[in-house]
Amino acid sequence: MKYKEYKDEKLGESIFCGKHSSGLEIRVAPKAGYDSAYAVFAVKYGSIDNYLGKSNGKYVKIPEGTAHFLEHKLFESEELDAFELFAKTGAQANAYTSFEHTAYLFKGSENIDTSLGYLLDFVQKPYFTAETVKKEQGIIGQEIRMYQDLPDWVVMFNLLKCLYKEHPVRIDIAGTQESIAQIDDKLLYSIYDTYYNPSNMILSIAGNVDPDKIFNQVSKAITRKKKAVPDRKFVPESAKAISKYVEKKLAVGKKQFLLGYKEELKTPEISMEDELASTAMIEALFGKSSPFFKKLLDDGLIEMDFGGQIFNGFGFSTVMIGGTSDDPEKVAKLIKDEIKKVKKSGLDKKAFERAKRKIYGRSVMSYNDIDDIANGQMNMYFAGYKPFAELDTIRKLNVTKANERLKKLTDAGSALSVILPMD
Amino acid sequence: MFKTKTTAPGVRVVSVKTDKYKTNIIDISMAVPLDENAAANALLIGLLSRSCKDYPDFTSLNAKLDELYGASLGCSVRKIGDAQVLSLSVTCLDDRFALEDESITDECAKLLCDLIFNPNVKGSSFGKDALKSEKRLLINNILAELDNKRYYALKKCTELMCANEPFGRSEYGTVEEVENVKMTDIFAAWKNLLKTAVIQITTVGCADITKINRLFSKQFKTVDREPCEINTIFFKKGQHFRRGVEQFPMKQGKLVFGFRTGSEDRYDNYFPLRVMCDIFGGGTYSKLFANVREKMSLAYYCSASFVSSKGIIFVQSGIDTDKEKQVSTAIINQLDDVRKGKFDDETLAASKRSLREGLTLSTPEAVCGWYKSFILEDNIMTPEETADGYDKVTKEEVCEAAKLLSIDKIYMLEAVESEDAEDEV
Repeated sequence: MKYKEYKDEKLGESIFCGKHSSGLEIRVAPKAGYDSAYAVFAVKYGSIDNYLGKSNGKYVKIPEGTAHFLEHKLFESEELDAFELFAKTGAQANAYTSFEHTAYLFKGSENIDTSLGYLLDFVQKPYFTAETVKKEQGIIGQEIRMYQDLPDWVVMFNLLKCLYKEHPVRIDIAGTQESIAQIDDKLLYSIYDTYYNPSNMILSIAGNVDPDKIFNQVSKAITRKKKAVPDRKFVPESAKAISKYVEKKLAVGKKQFLLGYKEELKTPEISMEDELASTAMIEALFGKSSPFFKKLLDDGLIEMDFGGQIFNGFGFSTVMIGGTSDDPEKVAKLIKDEIKKVKKSGLDKKAFERAKRKIYGRSVMSYNDIDDIANGQMNMYFAGYKPFAELDTIRKLNVTKANERLKKLTDAGSALSVILPMD
Repeated sequence: MFKTKTTAPGVRVVSVKTDKYKTNIIDISMAVPLDENAAANALLIGLLSRSCKDYPDFTSLNAKLDELYGASLGCSVRKIGDAQVLSLSVTCLDDRFALEDESITDECAKLLCDLIFNPNVKGSSFGKDALKSEKRLLINNILAELDNKRYYALKKCTELMCANEPFGRSEYGTVEEVENVKMTDIFAAWKNLLKTAVIQITTVGCADITKINRLFSKQFKTVDREPCEINTIFFKKGQHFRRGVEQFPMKQGKLVFGFRTGSEDRYDNYFPLRVMCDIFGGGTYSKLFANVREKMSLAYYCSASFVSSKGIIFVQSGIDTDKEKQVSTAIINQLDDVRKGKFDDETLAASKRSLREGLTLSTPEAVCGWYKSFILEDNIMTPEETADGYDKVTKEEVCEAAKLLSIDKIYMLEAVESEDAEDEV
């Protein structure tokens, strides 16, 4: 099959991209001198897709946590399960479900072609029975409970529940004990048949591999035919948060908080430029070299974990700032005041340039890691970008754009989530 | 391959030279006996990471790091056997990727050296406010250990098991110990560290070892080095069996088993123990994963880990509190099966392949981590030599190693119902 080389001279890397006749995107990033390879076979179907798209254009709601449940079950087959297969090559296999996609992966150094064969095979061959589905409910039930005890996880989902009224980003990726009890083998098959089509998937691999061989092997191993996949359901949200404050007591040592600013979206997704400009804006305002960080640290209001990020995807975009603090409400007020002030004055140009350099440096550094490269290509493909688009975007970032992004943060769209220690 | 050079008595530079990465890492690790000075040492390394003479406050230092393309400064405190190991490290972009031809690596190496040798001190004071702030941060970190219940349970099991050994101490000291540290203690800790710590500087990347060696050896010449001796106590057998327990309002209970491995030092019976631990509770082919998780559906995770530097194996699992007995019995039964050789040759082969795979260090951080773990050893083993060691392990050796395990303590964090069970949203 045909493929094309993308090259970034300054970075010294090449990534090869091709589209298989089934619609599968294939991206290969060879890394000279590396001993192993990391491959991810992923589908654009995640926890926010808790609607099953029908051929008549309608959507049927499905139990929360279905995408994640399917991820667990795909590892089993009629004969050897996927773990048993990978034990033969020594590769480490795993999978994860995020808000927007489900990824199956392995990392290995010997017999990479054999491992790749296993990966392509087991993801294309679902096998569920009523009994195997039932058995998994105990394991996933424990996984859900494990996350419910993690304050970072709880503080974030409580915030999302304050910000989003309808959008499924507000639900836990693994669902609940009750919701997963409604999942059966028939539902898993219908989800699989609808969404796990090559035209909705990518195979991304990085490491000690030869592009030609990979394209050859993958193109032969794809057996499913191209089929239209229903569009992702866009669930529009207003600019307003549905609730301004939430607190929850957990057995933790210190108070934690997360302040969120929800962005109203006219189109389902913000651009990469918007995303990176927001990252630079947050870094310039609240990063470790900002006067704001120093002031709050000296006043004993924040800890070293204080910081922010933009959290965005299909139908959602939120700037989150948080950490550990004895007085979350005071810190939240100071953050809001700072944002109001800088909205008027504009960002400090020097601080913005420093932030830009940092983001550039960290992006280049991410090419050290084959996991990051392969996962990065998967994310970029699903968001509609070619390789190295992020580096080009960073090089062109300007303070005007960052100031525009800052203006998107409104009080009406904000909410505060707090975790309190037990009395 | 790596190169080593002795810079000063008890100061070794280990360098892994390669141009395949985009970064250079320089790490300086300093080991001292883990004792009542742990809190002062932990505070000191925190203070050293916040400023130096040239960049006298947190903001100016971080601005400098940002300008150097987001160079990251790491600061860590950990235990290796009965030693406290304090590390400062810089990871920076290699000069090839600088947009304006800056010498990023030279600047970072100098910065790291300055943080340790030229801190922002006036007389013998690191600054009253700085110490106060550092104490607050460290105490909050200690209190926040509770937030990660898996880690917390492991830590409590270690405390209970090694109550009469240095390893039973926290690497950060206790809250009370941190509160009681005085400025004079910090200054003394700094002087003591430079004079007596066993030190290893590890570099991974294109950085020039000669240059780094020169930079640090110049500084070490100003110190009258008397490197300390660090010995770790190995108890061959579990002492007095006890089950420790604590209750928290949470959803999932955490069970920890602590076993003694029968070893007398870090490399005693090393390879059979590693392979045995992996077959018992390592990969997906392991006894614990295949049975406690997959077959019995009792846990999402149930795994064993080997602390070779102390001769201990921990088994950890997240479970329903009322299933503790059932899970405990299953863990013991699985160990018994390993002892009796009830695992097939394919499992042994799978374990060796997986352990070998784990030695494929694919990031510079992993490479650096591998070499810095040998700080207390005269001889450094390469990943290749280690893999060969695994390959030679026989089934009989695995069974024999398993027979040497003796249970010492169990720690259980019991999940109890919270009064505040409902979400407020």
